[in-house]
Amino acid sequence: MSIELEEIAEFLKQHHPFDLLPDEEINALPKRLSARYFRAGTKVLSPEEQCLHLYIIRTGGTETRDPNGQLLARLSEGECFGVRAMYQNGRAANNITTLEDSLCYLLPEKDFHALTGKYPQFSYFFAQMGGERLRSGMQLLESRDDDQLKLMSVKVSDLIARELVSIDTSASILEAGQLMSKERVSCLLITEGGDGVAGIMTDRDLRNRVIAKGRSYDEPVTAIMTEKPISIDPDQYAFDALLTMTRNNIRHLPVMKDGKAVGMITTNNLLARQSLSAVYMAGRIGKLTEPEEMAKVIAQVPELLSHLIEAGATSQNAGHIVTTLSDAATARLLQLAEDEFGPPPVPYVWMAGGSQGRQEQTALSDQDNCLIIDDAYNADQHGDYFKNLADFVCDGLNKVGYVYCPGEMMARTDEWRQPVRTWQHYFNKWIEQPEPKSLMLCSVWFDLRPVHGTKSLFEDLHRMIISKAKDNRIFQAYMVGNALSHHVPLGFFKNFVMIRGGEHDKTLDLKHNGVVPIVDIARIHALANGVEAVNTYERLNAVKAFPSISNQGASDLLDAFEFISITRLKHQVRQIRRGEKPDNFLQPESLSAFERSHLKDAFSVIKNLQGALEHAFGKSGT
Amino acid sequence: MGLRQKILDSRLYRDFIQRKATGPLRTYYDVPAADPERSVMETEFIALDLETTGLDPKKDEIVSLGWVIIRQLSVDFSSCEHILVRPTKELSESSVVVHRIFDSDVADAPSIEAALEHLLPQMAGRVLLSHHAPIELGFLGQACKQFFGAPLQIPTVDTLVLALRDIRRSGETMKSGALRLDTLRRNHNLPPFRAHNALSDAIAASGLFLAQIAKRDPKGELELDRILR
Repeated sequence: MSIELEEIAEFLKQHHPFDLLPDEEINALPKRLSARYFRAGTKVLSPEEQCLHLYIIRTGGTETRDPNGQLLARLSEGECFGVRAMYQNGRAANNITTLEDSLCYLLPEKDFHALTGKYPQFSYFFAQMGGERLRSGMQLLESRDDDQLKLMSVKVSDLIARELVSIDTSASILEAGQLMSKERVSCLLITEGGDGVAGIMTDRDLRNRVIAKGRSYDEPVTAIMTEKPISIDPDQYAFDALLTMTRNNIRHLPVMKDGKAVGMITTNNLLARQSLSAVYMAGRIGKLTEPEEMAKVIAQVPELLSHLIEAGATSQNAGHIVTTLSDAATARLLQLAEDEFGPPPVPYVWMAGGSQGRQEQTALSDQDNCLIIDDAYNADQHGDYFKNLADFVCDGLNKVGYVYCPGEMMARTDEWRQPVRTWQHYFNKWIEQPEPKSLMLCSVWFDLRPVHGTKSLFEDLHRMIISKAKDNRIFQAYMVGNALSHHVPLGFFKNFVMIRGGEHDKTLDLKHNGVVPIVDIARIHALANGVEAVNTYERLNAVKAFPSISNQGASDLLDAFEFISITRLKHQVRQIRRGEKPDNFLQPESLSAFERSHLKDAFSVIKNLQGALEHAFGKSGT
Repeated sequence: MGLRQKILDSRLYRDFIQRKATGPLRTYYDVPAADPERSVMETEFIALDLETTGLDPKKDEIVSLGWVIIRQLSVDFSSCEHILVRPTKELSESSVVVHRIFDSDVADAPSIEAALEHLLPQMAGRVLLSHHAPIELGFLGQACKQFFGAPLQIPTVDTLVLALRDIRRSGETMKSGALRLDTLRRNHNLPPFRAHNALSDAIAASGLFLAQIAKRDPKGELELDRILR
């Protein structure tokens, strides 16, 4: 192939979905193309007009409007139009007008269909655009192959199929067995005084603990039940339920709300949806004993992420699933550490901070964690144990793929491996005597979430943090000052469309210019209003009810967060697909004009709400 | 255009030289020339670029040719061709530096005569398109005379001449480098191109030509005559 045509092939390789085609196919493509040029303002296609080519924009940009003149899309370099015509016998569906002088490559219809017939990934991309499959939320949920998403959207409460079958602690084994037989259930909840849960009994228990042991049927059911069973909240997702069962190797999970049993879910409720790579990955991690082995599982996270994003997952879904795997690796390493060093001499809880704490991890994550230890902790007696434990887990996580936190915010740092009283002291100081340095820590330590251990150790501390932060206006004003130090790159877009050459090496940092400012805003409103949630979506949803932010403002910010996050994830997926290391730096020319204008709107929302923040809380410090 | 050139481009002159032509040039002349009164849209063009060892057609030689066909104002990449030519003399150092074509590259390449046998049928009935056409016309004309007994007459569009007319019409002063192919392409929002070889230049000129026509008449209904050099 000549070098000039090689340049066309290179161009195609840089653009989705052509990047999905194998090299030999894409190298053969330029010879089948032709090129046409349109002045700005030229009507390239009109509805019902014959269109026997797929148009690929090489330079310039176009606008798509439906026959009624409604704007549907703005396309730019690397994007395609004439797609609908490919699926309706070469009849164009919409009006296509050039916005700028544009050079287009034309791919003949038959070559287009040869490619879609051969490469499902390629075809899938266009099928969505072509309207074969309309992309609405409902249809997405109902389509066959995205079980993972279904589990992410279905609440545990929706899975409860029937009235709870339970029996009182006073019953005998015989009575319990008879009730199970009559009700045709494989599991019985043992209740105490109405709806207090005492335990759970399964048909497996009847086999193993009664028949195999030759136990009398007259003995009380309490003799064979499993006491204080693991349970789940009805507001959690089906995904979490399956994960809990896989992790604990159980097949029945009582659903509890405010200490009362409200239902029971079994693996059968969930088994129908088995192609759940994330759940399997988490389950696999739970069985491995070497960090190097876990690393192989975690190495598939980018692939999983690509899969999720391509299937239409929201960034919240993706963040939750990816974080689940970090949690699984963390919990497994802690189990292994306890096997190695023995059971903990005093209770502790392992906490995740930062994006893991917020359940917003993406393809690249370093570790932020700390250890909160019971106040019975005595440094002389117990110091070595917890140091060994923390080193074991932090080193393990590093080997698994979660590299050491550059700021040393990890449990292996002595400062961050402390009893509750010391943590209380830390938070007191941060909140009551805020200073710039301590504010840097806020983004990590005010987003804590327990991962493994005695969770109640954190609960009291958390309540203290929430109540102190809620009442301290000076602290809030400092937080605002810190949040406003992240500048939103609106000026960047101002001249974007006009910029040609020279400026193109500029990239947009979607994390620090987009995600972080929103996370900061959500944190301030949450802390100031006593909201306990740490996840940004949950925080923003919760603060809608408070006067510090308008309902509309919170909704806009949620939309902006989703758009920026998903743009970032898609960018990372593109890099993963190209075999590159994912990062947060987006070249704006890789976006369509339409996406660019959305992104610009999203940044405007942040800018406005940063302003409102100052108004609501004042501003101090930085 | 001078009177001499008008004569050389005339139908009468064509009839005269046609009778002297031999071989593939004879066959070339058997196909009627493109009609200057037809629209640009209906005309086929061959965008052609040559690389040569120097600027003098009498002393220097063609080292490579690249071309692509334009039909209905659409560049057809399937028609791309790139041919290296075996020169009769050793390549000069300056030529090697400019084109990065070495003697070893062209040792097995066809002679210019064989290359023309391949090219001439592609030119028949079409309009030659080139950026600064005197080079192409000079070298091809010289070769035709040498091997096939008659000069080459072909209706020609020169993108450089079209650009010059655009600048004059706009009334702006000419900046240095304004007529270079890459500058002109950038001004028409065409992608940057790297000048690699004769074919890349031919393709670059074809893109510029489409832009120049779109500027004059987006539908391409204007007559060929209005853009000939």
